[in-house]
Amino acid sequence: MSSRAKSTAALSSTPRGAPSDSVLELRGLTKSFGETQIIRGVDLTVKRYQRHGLIGPNGAGKSTLFNLISGQYVPTSGEIRLNGEPIAGLSPHVINRRGLSRSFQITNVFPRMSVAENLRTSIMGRHGHRLTVFRPVRSLKSVNDEVDEFIEKLRLGRRRNDLAGDLAYSEQRILEMGMSLATDPAVLILDEPTAGMSREEARYIVELIRQVTEERTLLVVEHDMSVVFTLCDQVSVLVYGVIIASGEPATVRADKKVQEAYLGEEVL
Amino acid sequence: MNKAPKIVLLLVGLAILTTLPIFLSPNLVNAVIKMMIAALFALAFTLAMGQAGMLSFGHAAYYGVGAFAALHLMRAVEMKLFFFPTPLIPLAGAAIGFLVGIVFGWLATQRIGVYFAMVTLALAELLFTLAPTWNSVFGGESGISTMRAPSWGLSFGHDIHVYYLTLAWFVISAWCMWAFTKTPLGRLALALRDNEHRARFLGFNTHVARTLIFAISCLFTGVAGALLAIANEATNYTIFSAQASANVVLQTFIGGAGTFFGPALGAATMTFFARVTSDLTRSWLLYQGLIFVLVMLFAPEGLGGIVSLHARKLRAAGLRHLVLPYLLCFVVALLLIAGVVFAVESIHVVMTDAYFAKRIAAKGAWVPYQLFGRSFEPLWPGTWAIPIALLSTGALLLPMARRLTASAWLVAIQESLPVAGAAAEATTRQEATA
Amino acid sequence: MEYIIVSILNGVVHGLLLFMVSAGLTLIFGMMGVLNFAHAWFYMLGAYVGFTLTRLGGFWIGLLLAPIIAGLAGVLVERYLLRRVHHYGHAHELLLTFGLAFIIEEVIKLFYGDALVNYQMPDYMRFAAFTVFETNYPFYRLFMGAVALGMFAILYLLLTRTRVGIIVRAATYRPSTVEALGHNLPLVFMGIFAGGSALAGLAGAVAGAFYPTGPNMAVDFGTLVFVVVVVGGLGSVVGALIASLMIGLFISFSVGLNISIADFLGLFGLGEWATEIGGLFTLQLSTIANSMPFLLMLLVLLMRPAGLMGDRQ
Repeated sequence: MSSRAKSTAALSSTPRGAPSDSVLELRGLTKSFGETQIIRGVDLTVKRYQRHGLIGPNGAGKSTLFNLISGQYVPTSGEIRLNGEPIAGLSPHVINRRGLSRSFQITNVFPRMSVAENLRTSIMGRHGHRLTVFRPVRSLKSVNDEVDEFIEKLRLGRRRNDLAGDLAYSEQRILEMGMSLATDPAVLILDEPTAGMSREEARYIVELIRQVTEERTLLVVEHDMSVVFTLCDQVSVLVYGVIIASGEPATVRADKKVQEAYLGEEVL
Repeated sequence: MNKAPKIVLLLVGLAILTTLPIFLSPNLVNAVIKMMIAALFALAFTLAMGQAGMLSFGHAAYYGVGAFAALHLMRAVEMKLFFFPTPLIPLAGAAIGFLVGIVFGWLATQRIGVYFAMVTLALAELLFTLAPTWNSVFGGESGISTMRAPSWGLSFGHDIHVYYLTLAWFVISAWCMWAFTKTPLGRLALALRDNEHRARFLGFNTHVARTLIFAISCLFTGVAGALLAIANEATNYTIFSAQASANVVLQTFIGGAGTFFGPALGAATMTFFARVTSDLTRSWLLYQGLIFVLVMLFAPEGLGGIVSLHARKLRAAGLRHLVLPYLLCFVVALLLIAGVVFAVESIHVVMTDAYFAKRIAAKGAWVPYQLFGRSFEPLWPGTWAIPIALLSTGALLLPMARRLTASAWLVAIQESLPVAGAAAEATTRQEATA
Repeated sequence: MEYIIVSILNGVVHGLLLFMVSAGLTLIFGMMGVLNFAHAWFYMLGAYVGFTLTRLGGFWIGLLLAPIIAGLAGVLVERYLLRRVHHYGHAHELLLTFGLAFIIEEVIKLFYGDALVNYQMPDYMRFAAFTVFETNYPFYRLFMGAVALGMFAILYLLLTRTRVGIIVRAATYRPSTVEALGHNLPLVFMGIFAGGSALAGLAGAVAGAFYPTGPNMAVDFGTLVFVVVVVGGLGSVVGALIASLMIGLFISFSVGLNISIADFLGLFGLGEWATEIGGLFTLQLSTIANSMPFLLMLLVLLMRPAGLMGDRQ
């Protein structure tokens, strides 16, 4: 176990109750669409600087949960707290400005703009240039410098001026994640970042994620179990809209209920 | 490297526009004034549409309020309430256009896509139905009229003065709109057009952003309206009509919403044709509609897009291959146009009251009708043969013209590429045969 | 009292006519994602067909032919125009139908001129059905309402009781599944498009004999239809019904009310002050009856941006 995981484990073994520890809390969260209840009472705690994995069989409601946290859906009942403040039902842009940023399962970039422009859009907001009209974007030195930094970090230098829609699939996923990251969130939630990638590409992405989340909190949904178990300090399992287990990866893997939920799947 | 020729082109265009009045009759000077106003209207419309993806079917609302704002200001000057220099009158159009744009935009941008379009249409119709009843602001059914006041040493009694005023505002506004595309908000507009959903999750209040962008578009639309008011010295509620809103949409897309100047060219050209043909035919709007539908079906990038395509893909070396095929295409187009025009104009003449009166005089017989200075018998097969022959010849030659053009394009592109990259060729081949 | 009853009857009939046209538009939009801007122009086409055939001696033939011709026009539009530009996206399809609407209007103007045409119902239909207090209520209004209700009955039975209806309803939810089950999906879509257009054509033929028939009728009616769809909500037929009736009633009640904001303020003793200000305050409701639907739309947008039956998301 990495030293970081050890220190996180040490943290989680201290008595729960220190509120500054949990950066994201879900309490009794439910969401129904008409007659169908997708999320049926989810309790989840993500602690600061934790890398928290969310796994579960298909249809369990993981994407719905992300949509609830990031503000796309309004919960039917229950609470969501970010740094102790309730955020349930707030608009996505408000939640983002409070320090939570998400990426999407289906790549969601600005296809007709260049890579650099995509990142610049994410960055310029933070520098207060959301509605600026009287300066050309070229003159915003701090913004443009950060764009260069990010392109370096994401290693997309070669593709800097290419249209985002022309990138290879894995490059688009990296850009996708990079855009969420560029808003400098305290909490980053990633929806299946390695979906559709080869082993090589996935390994690369995971390393990238590890690097960029050194000083942040991460909540990640994944289907690739090896990714989850190497990257995350804490894992929660969502089945049919309820969390059936939550804890350290090894503990969760050994849990009977979890094994039953995945019965028939080779992944565990 | 690409910029130099564009700047030269712009300067040449500007030079032409500046010296044009010397060579033109007063009637034509007036025509060019109207063309510039239409071009400005189209540019402003495209700011919302082409950049931010907000298709507005009711843009005449802001055009109209700009016009009325200008007229009220001119009236105040006329009645000696206070002094306001005539050249700065369009500022009133800008201010009121912006304000109305904020209010209407706030409402309309709560929805996107087709809903947005329908809301904008309804808002324009609201003004159209309200204006004739609201006498104090809109002058009721007859509207408001006034006179231009002398300012800055110029009498503004001549069209030439109005021409240069319009030209100055056109250039300033066009430059401002171009500069806007380089600002953070202008770039955000592009992002919103691509993926408004994503922008929300990057911390942007997209409702506020879209309202502001829309209002800026309305600002420049208001300027165009004000310029119209200055030129005509009058306006009435019909400026809010659905027709006026529809015109700018059609003209913009004929010109091509994807390029910066495409819409301006489309609007200027269509306005020019409307004026030139107003004596020859009553069916210009039908022709404009047909052109629009054909462009939508076969040249979705508009005429500006076609020009841009040529500029991008071809070098001088390759152009010569296209001369003959284009000549054939021109002939085909001429045949088809002639056939359609003959048919439409014939129908028009036969349906007029004057013709009906002649028929009554001849006891119901189908007397010959006059068209293009000649006489035609309505029931004689020869008359029908003319449009049929024109259209069928054109239709027969069309496939050949298309094939020749496609193959000529392939040759032209190959000659234009310095080093043929396989991928680049494949894409251009796709485009040429599309 | 008499005013209220008459206004309700008028409003309901007008609303039903509106619904006849809006329902088709909303259905097509909900199923295919395509907004046929020219939909109200099929309504106009139906009216002019009715006019032409009535002039040639057959009002009822006109009522029969109008939906057929409008439906045929719908088929041609869907098959040869919309399918061509489908891959360019919905905005492009909307623009294409926009241009088409323009062309239809201009062609009709070419043949029939710029002015209103004298499309009248046959003389034997020109009588009072009954008398409400002092007012004679025209039979034709009831006829229009009856036609609309009759159409719904047929449509409802068709959609719920026949095999074709089940396929159509399934196609609105799961088009690819329906196709996978072996049904000819393009044909279904074309049929829906034709059906909606035919409905609009019939509405035009029926209404045109009562309301003014002229080149502006499509724009006037069409904007109302769009307001209905905006107010009623995302592809919701029930929403369209509610919105249509609301708008119909709003208009018919406003037309007869000669009151203004100043009169209303008069109840609080501010009448004279308001009358002196003039302008908007002395504007009578009856004069702005035409603007009522748009004001209603603004109100709904302010309170419920997604429309009456729309979802927040």
